Amino acid sequence: MDAFAAGSSIDLFQLTGLQDLQSLAIIGLSKNAGKTTCLNHIIATWQEAGQTRPLALTSIGRDGESEDILSGYEKPRIYVPAGTLIASAQAALQNSDALLEILELSNIRTALGEVIVCRALSDGYVELAGPSVTDEISSIERLMRQHEPDCLFILDGAFSRRSQAGSGMSEAVFLCVSAETSTDPEVMAEMTNFALDMLQTPALPEDTANLFAQATRTNPGKRTIMLSGKVPHLDISTLDTPASVGYGKDIASALKPDTHFLYLQGAMTDRVLEELLSETNFANLTLVVEDGTRLFIKPNSYLKLRERRVDLAVLTPIEVRLVCLNPTRADGQCLDSQPYLDEMRKKLPVPVVDMGPRNV
Amino acid sequence: MQTSVIISPEFLEDLGLQKVLEACRCRSPQGAKLKNRLQFFSNDSRDALQEELDAIGRLILLVRANNPQITEAQTSLSRLRELKGTLTRLDKGSLLNDTEFFELKSALSIFDRLGKMKSLLDAAGINFDDTKSAAALLDPAGTGNPAFHIYNDYSPELSEIRAQKNELESKIRQATGPQRKTLLTQRALITAREDGEEENIRRQLGEKLAEWLPEIHNNTNNCAKLDFRLAKAILAVRWNGCEPQLVEQHKPAILQDAFHPLVAATLEKQGASFTPISIELRQGATVLMGANMGGKSVALKTIFLALLMTQLGYFPSCESLQTPLFDFFAFEASHEGDLNRGLSSFGLEAVQIRNHFRKSKTQKGLILMDEPCRGTNPAEATTIVQALCNTYGNSDSTFFIATHYHVKTAPGIRFYQVRGINPDSLAELPNYRSAASKTDGTEENSATDLSSMAMNFYNDDLTRVRRIQSLMDYRLEEIDGVNQAPSGAIKIAELLGVDEELLHEMKAARQEDQWQHSE
Repeated sequence: MDAFAAGSSIDLFQLTGLQDLQSLAIIGLSKNAGKTTCLNHIIATWQEAGQTRPLALTSIGRDGESEDILSGYEKPRIYVPAGTLIASAQAALQNSDALLEILELSNIRTALGEVIVCRALSDGYVELAGPSVTDEISSIERLMRQHEPDCLFILDGAFSRRSQAGSGMSEAVFLCVSAETSTDPEVMAEMTNFALDMLQTPALPEDTANLFAQATRTNPGKRTIMLSGKVPHLDISTLDTPASVGYGKDIASALKPDTHFLYLQGAMTDRVLEELLSETNFANLTLVVEDGTRLFIKPNSYLKLRERRVDLAVLTPIEVRLVCLNPTRADGQCLDSQPYLDEMRKKLPVPVVDMGPRNV
Repeated sequence: MQTSVIISPEFLEDLGLQKVLEACRCRSPQGAKLKNRLQFFSNDSRDALQEELDAIGRLILLVRANNPQITEAQTSLSRLRELKGTLTRLDKGSLLNDTEFFELKSALSIFDRLGKMKSLLDAAGINFDDTKSAAALLDPAGTGNPAFHIYNDYSPELSEIRAQKNELESKIRQATGPQRKTLLTQRALITAREDGEEENIRRQLGEKLAEWLPEIHNNTNNCAKLDFRLAKAILAVRWNGCEPQLVEQHKPAILQDAFHPLVAATLEKQGASFTPISIELRQGATVLMGANMGGKSVALKTIFLALLMTQLGYFPSCESLQTPLFDFFAFEASHEGDLNRGLSSFGLEAVQIRNHFRKSKTQKGLILMDEPCRGTNPAEATTIVQALCNTYGNSDSTFFIATHYHVKTAPGIRFYQVRGINPDSLAELPNYRSAASKTDGTEENSATDLSSMAMNFYNDDLTRVRRIQSLMDYRLEEIDGVNQAPSGAIKIAELLGVDEELLHEMKAARQEDQWQHSE
C-alpha cells in the first residue's frame, strides 16, 4: 500500500493545495470509483490538520448511502465532524445520524424531497442527495456561503454524472479511478491519461472565448454557434437544433470553408462525432465545448479528429489536482495498488495516490 | 367568479384580466392563492368590498410616501412558505419532522415581525394574533436564532444522552482500527437512544403547537390578506388607479377618463398615447355607434375591465369611477363561429343572448355586446339589435352595445358615439391614390404558391391607415340618437384611395338607404 495511505494531511495539502481552495469537485471515472472514500479522506485530513474553515458538502444526485442501491454491495458512508455544512434532500437527511441544525430550506426539489441546508452540531454520518442541475448547485453554494462565507465547498459527483461537476463551478477537481476501469495497470494508466487529457482540454484564447460568451448571451437557447471569417474579425452565426445527436449532417452543412470555431452545447459523444466526421467539410477547425466534462469520446474518435485537423477547446478549463486510485472492486476484491500507481505515475502529469480505505 | 362573470375563454385573454392578475405581484404563496381565487364582490358583499377598497386606499398613501415598512413587509412575506401541509399534519396529530418545525418557526417569526408594523397593519385593516408564546416553544433558550434542531433544553434526558455521545465522538476522533469500530458501535447504540428521546420531544412539541393552530391559521390568512392588499395598492399606484365609489343600486355607473392599462402600455411603447374614455351607463340600454376604426371595441373592453376590476376589489385605471354593484358581468364579442366544431357564429350568439336574458330577469347584470349579429343579414340583424335594446331598456340591468346597425330611439335607450375624425384634420391630409400600377395585373411576382395568394398590403397603404388612425378622436360623446351620423366607413374608403366610380356607387347607395329610412 502506498505510503500516503497513512493519511498525512501535510502530503495531501502539499500535493494539491487543498487548503487554499474555495471549491472542489470529486469526479469519478466510473461507478465505484471511490469518490466517497476520497471525500472521507479529505474530511479526516482537514480535521487532522486543524483547519478552522468549515467544509460545506453536497452531491449531485444521491451519494453516501450505506448500500449501493444498484448492486447491493456495502458502500462507504460519509462521517463528518461537528461544524460541517450539509446540503441534502429531506429523505436523505432522515438517514443521517449527526445532530443537524436546519439553516435554510432551499426550495429546490428532488426525488428525495427538498434540499435542506444544515449544520452538523455533532460528529456523525450523513447521506448526501443534492440537486442535479448546475444552476441549483450554484444556488446551494450561495446559500451555504451566506452562513459560512469562507467554507471549502465540496461537490461529490454521482455515477455517470461527471458532466455536472464542470461548468466553472469548482476551482479544482479530484479525479477518482477504480480497478473497475481495467485490471491491466498499463491499460488503466492509458485510459486515465486520456480521460485526464479530455478533462483538462485547454481553454480558448480569451478574446475568442469572449466572442462565444457574447454569442451565447445574444442567442440564448442556440446549441450550435460558429465563428467564421478572417482572424481577428470573426463573424458569429448560429444554428437552431434541438440536440447535437442526429443533427451532425445539418451542423456540418452549416460550416463554411472559413469557419474556425464550432461550439456545440451539451455532451460531445462518439455518435455526434461520427455524424460530423462523415461530412468532409468538418475539418480544419477548433471544436469547442463548455468544459472538459462534456467530452465523452473514445481515444479512437480523438485520433480521427486529429487526422482532420480538428482541435478541441473548452470555454471553462478544469484543473485536475489529484488522481485517486481505488484498488477495491465493487464486489469487494482488493487489488495490489502498487503496479497501478507505478504505471500511472509514469504517464500522468498530476499526482496519483491510493488513499487506502476509509470506510468509517 | 364562474357564475358571476360570463365571458368566453378567448375573450378573457383579449380582455387582459390574466395580465392584470400577473401584474399584481403577491410575494407569498398564500397571497398568490388569494389573488387567484378571484373573489367577486356583489351587492351582498358590499361592506366587505368597501373595507377592501378603503384598506387599499390607505395603503396607497404609505406606498406613495415610500414608507419603509412596505419593503420590509414584502421581504418578510416573500420568505413565507406554503404551510398548508404542515398545519394539516399538526392538526391531525402527526409527528412533525425538523423541517416542518423549522418551517413553523420561520412563519411564527414572520408573524411576529409583521405584527409589529403598526402603521402598515392599521392601514391594511389587519390585526395579527399574538403568537410569541408559540414561537417560544421553538426557541426554548430564547436566542432568537432562526435555525432549528431538537434542543437539549427540551429535556434533561436528551441533554444527558448527547453529553455521553459527545464524549464518545471525541474518542472516535482519536481512535483507529478495531478500537474505532468498537466505539462506532457504541455510538450507534447511543444514537438510537437519542432518536427515541427526540421522537418523544417531537410529539410533545407538536401537541403544544397544535394548541396554537387557530392563531397560526388566522395569522397565515392575515399574511395572505396583507400581501394581496399591498400588491393591489402598488398596482394602483403604478397604473394610476382610483378608489371607486360604490353607489346605490339604481344609480348609474360613471367612468371618468378610464384607460385600459395594457393597451395604454402597448401604445406608449409605440410612441402613441391612449385616449381616456368617459361614459355614464344607466340602467337600461346604451348604444355605442361610431366610425370604423373608432376604437369601439377597445372602449368596451376598457369599460368592462374597469368595472370588473372594481368588483374584484381592485382600483380601476380611471380618473374617477362610481358604480352600483352588479350581480353578474357578461361580455359577448361576435365570434367567427367555431370552425373546428362546425358551429355557426349566430347559433352560439343566440345561446348567449338567451342565457344573459334569462339571468337578467332575476339579477342585475352588466351586459356588454360588441357588434352582435355581425354575420347575420342586415335587415334581420337590425330588428334583433333593436329588440335587445328595447327589452333591456326596461330592465334593471345595464346593457351596453356597440353596433353598426341602426337603432331607433325608444324609452330606456341612450346613445353614444365615438367622436371620430375631425373634418378640419382631414383637410390637412394630402390627396392619395394607392399604388394602382401594382394592382393592374402586372405584379412582379406571379408565382402561385400559397403565400402569394394571401393578401399583401403595401407599405404606403399601411402608413396611410396609421395616419388616419392617428387623426381619430376616440372620445365618446352622448348624442340624441335621432340624427345618427353615418359611420364614416365610406369616408375612410375614400381616404384610402378607393377608385372614383366605386365611391360614386357607394354614396348613391347610401343616399337611397337614407331615403328609405326617413320614409
